[in-house]
Amino acid sequence: MTSENGTTKAQTALAVPSRSLAWRRRRDSAARFWRQYRAHRAGLSGLAALLLFALLALTAPLLVGSDVDNVTDAPGGPLEDPSARFPFGTDRFGRNLLGLVIWGARVSLLVGLLAAVLSVAIGTLIGVTAGHFKGWYATVMMRITDWFLVMPTLVLAIALATVMPRSLLTIVVAIGVTTWPTTARLVRAQTLAVETRPYIERARALGGGHWHIMSRHVLPNVMPLVLAQTTLIISTAILAEATLAFLGLGDPTVVSWGALLQDAREAGAVSSGHWWYLVPPGVAIAVVALAFTLCGRAVEQVLNPRLGVSR
Amino acid sequence: MDTNDQYGGHHRTPARVPLGRTPARAPLGRTPRRARLVAAAGAAALALSAGLATPLSPAPSQAHAADDDGKKVLTVAVAQSVDSLSPFLAVRLLSTSIHRLTYEYLTNYDPEDNSVVPGFANKWESSPDKLTWTYTIRSDSKWSDGEQATAEDAAWTFNTMMTDPGAATANGSFVSNFEKVTAPSPTQLVIELKKPQATMTALDVPIVPKHVWEKVDDYSKFNNDKDFPVVGNGPFVLTDYKPDSYVRLKANKDFWRGAPKFDELVFRYYKDQDAAVSALRKGEVSFVAGSPSLTPAQAASLKGEKNIHVNDAPGRRFYALATNPGARARNGETMGDGHPSLLDQRVRNALFKAVDREAVIDKVFQGHAVEGAGYIPPRFSPYFWKPSPGQELTYDPDEAGRMLDRAGLKKNADGRRIGKDGKPITYRVLCHATDPNDKAIGQYLQEWWGELGIGVTLNCLDNVTDPWLAGEYDLAFDGWSVNPDPDFVLSIHTCAALPATPEETGATDNFICDKTYDELYARQLAEYDPDKRAAIVKRMESRLYDLGYMNVMAYPNAVEAYRTDQIESITTMPAKAGNIYGQDGYWSWWSAAPADSGDSSGGSSSTGVVVGIVAGVVVLAGAGAFFTLRRRATADERE
Repeated sequence: MTSENGTTKAQTALAVPSRSLAWRRRRDSAARFWRQYRAHRAGLSGLAALLLFALLALTAPLLVGSDVDNVTDAPGGPLEDPSARFPFGTDRFGRNLLGLVIWGARVSLLVGLLAAVLSVAIGTLIGVTAGHFKGWYATVMMRITDWFLVMPTLVLAIALATVMPRSLLTIVVAIGVTTWPTTARLVRAQTLAVETRPYIERARALGGGHWHIMSRHVLPNVMPLVLAQTTLIISTAILAEATLAFLGLGDPTVVSWGALLQDAREAGAVSSGHWWYLVPPGVAIAVVALAFTLCGRAVEQVLNPRLGVSR
Repeated sequence: MDTNDQYGGHHRTPARVPLGRTPARAPLGRTPRRARLVAAAGAAALALSAGLATPLSPAPSQAHAADDDGKKVLTVAVAQSVDSLSPFLAVRLLSTSIHRLTYEYLTNYDPEDNSVVPGFANKWESSPDKLTWTYTIRSDSKWSDGEQATAEDAAWTFNTMMTDPGAATANGSFVSNFEKVTAPSPTQLVIELKKPQATMTALDVPIVPKHVWEKVDDYSKFNNDKDFPVVGNGPFVLTDYKPDSYVRLKANKDFWRGAPKFDELVFRYYKDQDAAVSALRKGEVSFVAGSPSLTPAQAASLKGEKNIHVNDAPGRRFYALATNPGARARNGETMGDGHPSLLDQRVRNALFKAVDREAVIDKVFQGHAVEGAGYIPPRFSPYFWKPSPGQELTYDPDEAGRMLDRAGLKKNADGRRIGKDGKPITYRVLCHATDPNDKAIGQYLQEWWGELGIGVTLNCLDNVTDPWLAGEYDLAFDGWSVNPDPDFVLSIHTCAALPATPEETGATDNFICDKTYDELYARQLAEYDPDKRAAIVKRMESRLYDLGYMNVMAYPNAVEAYRTDQIESITTMPAKAGNIYGQDGYWSWWSAAPADSGDSSGGSSSTGVVVGIVAGVVVLAGAGAFFTLRRRATADERE
């Protein structure tokens, strides 16, 4: 684990030089991180794929127009074969599938990111507090975590998505509140390790309160772990979003990759051989999930040298 | 009422195949060498499973046409769950179809033209005042346990429904007007009426054996699914049932009209329609009806297939957009939370004027449906009604906008229409998550009504029953199968069908209660002259159309497919352009004749196994050799 605790501690908010010093050290460590990350070929290719998809998602309104999901003015006939005009063919409404897949990236990425952030935020909060306070609080929190850990995530998410109104927010919440336990356990373990270090004791002796210790000393030290965990959870979240949408638990009027798969299934594309309805969204889900996993792995290895022993 | 669709198409059990969640922590790309090995292993596994799957897969297909002991089995893929196997409780299409097959009804409908033909009763006559009906019961019908089926059984069935509210759950509407039912002799059944009733030759009530059913304690709880075989006298005998797995019926060789040609009829569950179609392709099932019908893409791809016939016939269903008329109970208490603006007829008509029925037929049904008009589908020609040109709510979004303006729903600065409560209007549309058409049309509605300045939230649920019965919707997708005698589908819109109190469940479909309609309903029920009755029914349809509570968008076709190498011939109903699954009668399955598919079963399947094993061994050996070579090649790289 790299340590920025020196810099954060130096931030006594008095001297301007010390602040600029802190920034320089941060810049340095970022550059070091990038140098090491660059050495991971898989991580780089994952990053490239991610940047490409992010670019597509952000520029989708320009690339395909925001009326691509409009059913009344669909340009083609239902379920047309791939052609020069529609490279991926058309869906059951006659909409351009290439456009829909690009448009669907927005929802899939957005939900994946938000759900992962929510999940990691819950996990970090519970992990740090449980590691810091110990005692009965930690016991209760960890039993709750265990309970969520043994619950089948998908079943819980389906149950949540069924009882709440159909919307994107529901999906985000359903994924977020079911995938946090691993993060909580990891963060708690790291917190326990950090809290045994002498400088924490020093901080306490100097009168640092719970909040100060957790936010200024523990959190910066678990942050790298949290970062790596986030990238890994995003791919889980994207898959979960696709699964829930495929199961028909999403908002049926929102275009996402999972919803496209669900549409294809309902139109009978599987048994009638309209493969182009199924393959592009399926491949897109797989590629993005893979890309996030590759990035997450690389980040994890850079930040935690012990993982790289096998190389 | 369990579903909103008594006999029909809206099946609620979802077909679900969960996508696997890939564990995020697979060791990907950590070491190039291992990655390559993993890839090689994956490829070998794939090749192995492909090698095993392909030659083996024809094996099960042979299992069905002729069973081991030479039994001819007809397998039908279904998706709808059975609500109950008790004739007193069942309302769903599959369950009522099973009752058609296992019990006799007093009369039946001719498969040629839907006219009334003898069933359990040979002949019937009414007194001059039409209040006393005498049925002659056939003496050549035996229960499957050997007892003679008599008029006493019929009398007991009707009397039980008249005295026990639990037994009147499903078909109570037929007997509510009965004064007295007696069986003076084993072959004579006499029904006395309080008022004339036009449905006396269309009493769709299964007659159950008294000696078995009089031992039942509580008819509202008994589901008739414990003791097999179930005693009956139809062309088939129910021999086994496992919920959501299969329903098995055996041919009744002593059936008075003649024994069915297949020895066994199995309804097997395929909750996923794609799986059902694949099963048909492979020959595991002989017939697929789809739920409610095959999708256009499936029908198109099956049409080109050898040995498969696609039956695309005008259906007996209507598909409508129901509007919440302010749900209430018979005691006057209101329930639910329907949008108040929908109580204005102009608003309802304007909404429907902005629905492009032609697009629904062309785009969503892709031609496998007929554009909606009156309440009863054109297939039942005596009762089919069309609005006159002046009355018709033709597609005209501009006029619809003006109608909404006149109704006082003005647009605000953002172009949204404002309700009386000062808030922008957003209607909640209740849709069946299991019906792709609901969702597709819902997306069109969102855009059509969005142009008018009205928001739409699609509320797609697996189980629409709860919000539906509670009146918690603004609009809803609705559909019913219509019987040759339309009395039932007309009765569900009368005030009498409303629930007694908000806590209870009524037979009502959509909480419609209209005085004019009710008067016409009573008149048609008492009218024995078919032409005059049809004229009254058409006036009822006209009234319903104007009210705008039931806006019929389409009459979907029955799109179903069967294997011609397993079913030689099968009766459609009506004979010309009719459906097969869910008929008013047992004609299709009773008449189905097995095709002689000279049996190559044993040979080919065992060859399949042999080929599969050989291929598997070859692939395994290849993979083993590959790994050995790899290990040798990298031996000096390893530490």
